[in-house]
Amino acid sequence: MVKARTGRMRLTRWVLGLLALAFAVSALAVGPAGSASAAPTPVPTPAQTAAAYPQSIGIWVRLASDKSNVAGVSVLITGPKGFSQTVTTDKGGRALVGVPYVGDYKVKIDVASTPGGKLYPTTGVAPRIVAVDKGDPGIPAFFLLSPTIPNPSSGGSGGSGGSNQPTTSPSLGDLIFPRLATGLIFGLLIALASVGVSLIYGTTGLNNFAHGELVTFGALVGYTVSGLWGMPGWLGILLAVLLGGAFGWVQDLGLWKPLRKRRIALIPLMIVSIGLSLAVRYIFQIAYGPDLLVTPSDSSSFLNLGPVHLRFTDVTSPIIAIVVLLVVAYVMLRTRIGKATRAVADNGALASASGINVERVIRFVWVLGGALAGLSGALIGYYQPVSWQTGASVLLLIFASVTLGGLGTAFGALVGSLIISVLVDESTIVIPSNMKLVAALLVMIIILIFRPQGILGRRDRIG
Amino acid sequence: MDFSFVPLAFGQLLSPLTIGYALAALGLAVHFGFTGLLNFGQAGFMAVGGYAFAITTTEFGWPLWASILATVLGSVLFALLLGIPTLRLRADYLSIVTIAAAEIVRYTVKTPAISSFTGGSDGINGSSITFDKLDPLPDITYGFGVLRFTNDDLWIAIVGWIVVILAAFLVRQLMRSPWGRIVKGIREDEDAVRSLGKNVTWYKMQSLILGGVLGGLATVIVIIPTSLQPDNYGTQTTFFLYTIVLLGGATTVFGPIIGSIIFWFVLSITDGLLTLLVANHLIPLTSIQQGPIRFILVGIALMLLVIFRPQGIFGNKREAHFSV
Repeated sequence: MVKARTGRMRLTRWVLGLLALAFAVSALAVGPAGSASAAPTPVPTPAQTAAAYPQSIGIWVRLASDKSNVAGVSVLITGPKGFSQTVTTDKGGRALVGVPYVGDYKVKIDVASTPGGKLYPTTGVAPRIVAVDKGDPGIPAFFLLSPTIPNPSSGGSGGSGGSNQPTTSPSLGDLIFPRLATGLIFGLLIALASVGVSLIYGTTGLNNFAHGELVTFGALVGYTVSGLWGMPGWLGILLAVLLGGAFGWVQDLGLWKPLRKRRIALIPLMIVSIGLSLAVRYIFQIAYGPDLLVTPSDSSSFLNLGPVHLRFTDVTSPIIAIVVLLVVAYVMLRTRIGKATRAVADNGALASASGINVERVIRFVWVLGGALAGLSGALIGYYQPVSWQTGASVLLLIFASVTLGGLGTAFGALVGSLIISVLVDESTIVIPSNMKLVAALLVMIIILIFRPQGILGRRDRIG
Repeated sequence: MDFSFVPLAFGQLLSPLTIGYALAALGLAVHFGFTGLLNFGQAGFMAVGGYAFAITTTEFGWPLWASILATVLGSVLFALLLGIPTLRLRADYLSIVTIAAAEIVRYTVKTPAISSFTGGSDGINGSSITFDKLDPLPDITYGFGVLRFTNDDLWIAIVGWIVVILAAFLVRQLMRSPWGRIVKGIREDEDAVRSLGKNVTWYKMQSLILGGVLGGLATVIVIIPTSLQPDNYGTQTTFFLYTIVLLGGATTVFGPIIGSIIFWFVLSITDGLLTLLVANHLIPLTSIQQGPIRFILVGIALMLLVIFRPQGIFGNKREAHFSV
């Protein structure tokens, strides 16, 4: 009897594994992204710089003979939806062009602007085609110039390049490492929010579907302070943390605490949280409009590690996140309130009976969760443009992360966030970038089949 | 002042959204109200069903019956994919996976690489060809005043309501059958039902499939007179459906249907009223800011309903405590 039951369970797992596999294969069959995206981003004004867009093309022009940088070369970039921009290389022979849309861009050197007007790109491809994926900063478009004419027909500056040969396929390292970097950076940013979700879930049992709005709140505070008021960025981040904590506190005081008093069960509470999420999200839209908002920052390359190009904020944001996460870990493990929090998460009734003020712990967790989400949002604002629905889209990754790590375990949320984020970014090597979230869903389904308590969760939690 | 929005609000009774949402809400009531499944991804079921119908109709040129079969199959597969990993776990796992899966479906169909099939962000037009061929109504305009319907509009409205009533009748009979008693038992106390030797997970799966198929068919009713737009199947659609279900009464069969009628009527009246107020500068909002107001109102209504009247208009308070 027991054997039959386990046999059926194993069969179920197999069937599901096959389903997941079929899903993955069908996603693979679609092939890598190539065509222009029709993502619903509002049309940005052409005056915006590279900082305005999550993706950009990094142009570098050098001489083929001695590899010296060539300044003052004008380069024409044309892309989907009529995108067209001309840039001139700086002293380092470089130019960074922010591009608004995903898709193929043509990068063409204006031969007349090269020194002497007689230097041609050696690649023989004019213009060069650069495939831009969502959120890729500094996609390389490097040129070597030599005095020989590689292809007589491509000398003019009219931009009517007929032989559109794609760039030589990049090495495996060029594919993996930039995605690993972006995955880890973004993973650390969403880990801040995931830890909050996990703590709130652990202490109150509530899956907070409105947590994404706390993230958006932080992002909008950061944008308002440094984008609208022109104050320094650190002040925006600090205020996002403080006001985020205050928002969490107000939410608990004004909504969740009275509902706990009314002894409303958890399922209705989750529905309350989706109602709250809907209302708050659209209040943000009324206040900030439907467009993408860009928090100003320096978008030039700050640190180059082989194929990985990082902006200043790409380096500092993860450092801030790591420091804050370490502080949270210290608080959780070593301080009184941290121990009390873990006690409540373990067994609320027992904790209450041993004299722990459960209400105070829950209030602390809401403030902490709000502050962490605020920080996460503000830093995400430096990583990519944000909008009123940023939190709603990040919420998926947060939920995938906490499920992977184990619902209600704070450290699991951290590990889960890093794994999910890296995996989602690496998946764009084989699937179109718009479909990268499918990878997160697959991970979630597979982990729930084989280890439903998550990586760090305990068996008894899943009930 | 133009008060034509008042008769137009009554026209919502024949609008594809009212009919479609009534059917999808009925499906959600099967999940949430009768079985206690916390499905936060009904919009995903709607999207899968809709795309199955639209792609097979417009791309493959399948006949109506085959496309509807594809819709049903698509919804069943989606239910299996989401249900198998989550239904043996606690209620919140289903909610997390379904809300994520629904959004991922929406992102995926917008992928440029498969837009030759899915139409990308623009969606798919022209799903009505096979259905409108069967239209027996004479090709004239029906209605009076500001309420005008073409023969095709009226045709889908009639068929839509018939489908909704048949589905409601089916669900009503099912819930009175032994099967219905078991799923309601699962809602009240899963362990008690399990101790009676019932395979709880399998019953939950059947319920998820039934409600999901109703959700998939609902989209067919919506997209035949309009078009399939991926962004109409975001999280807000699921939240609308929850509001409808809780408004009418989650544990009743006719609650979701009446809920849908009231919901779209009220929404239409508020939209009209707001437009009037904004146009006459009676409230400090621009017409762009007016759009989100309905979502805020729905969000607040949803919270208030759950807190103060979880049984809805027609529900029974005893059935609506949703213990976990």
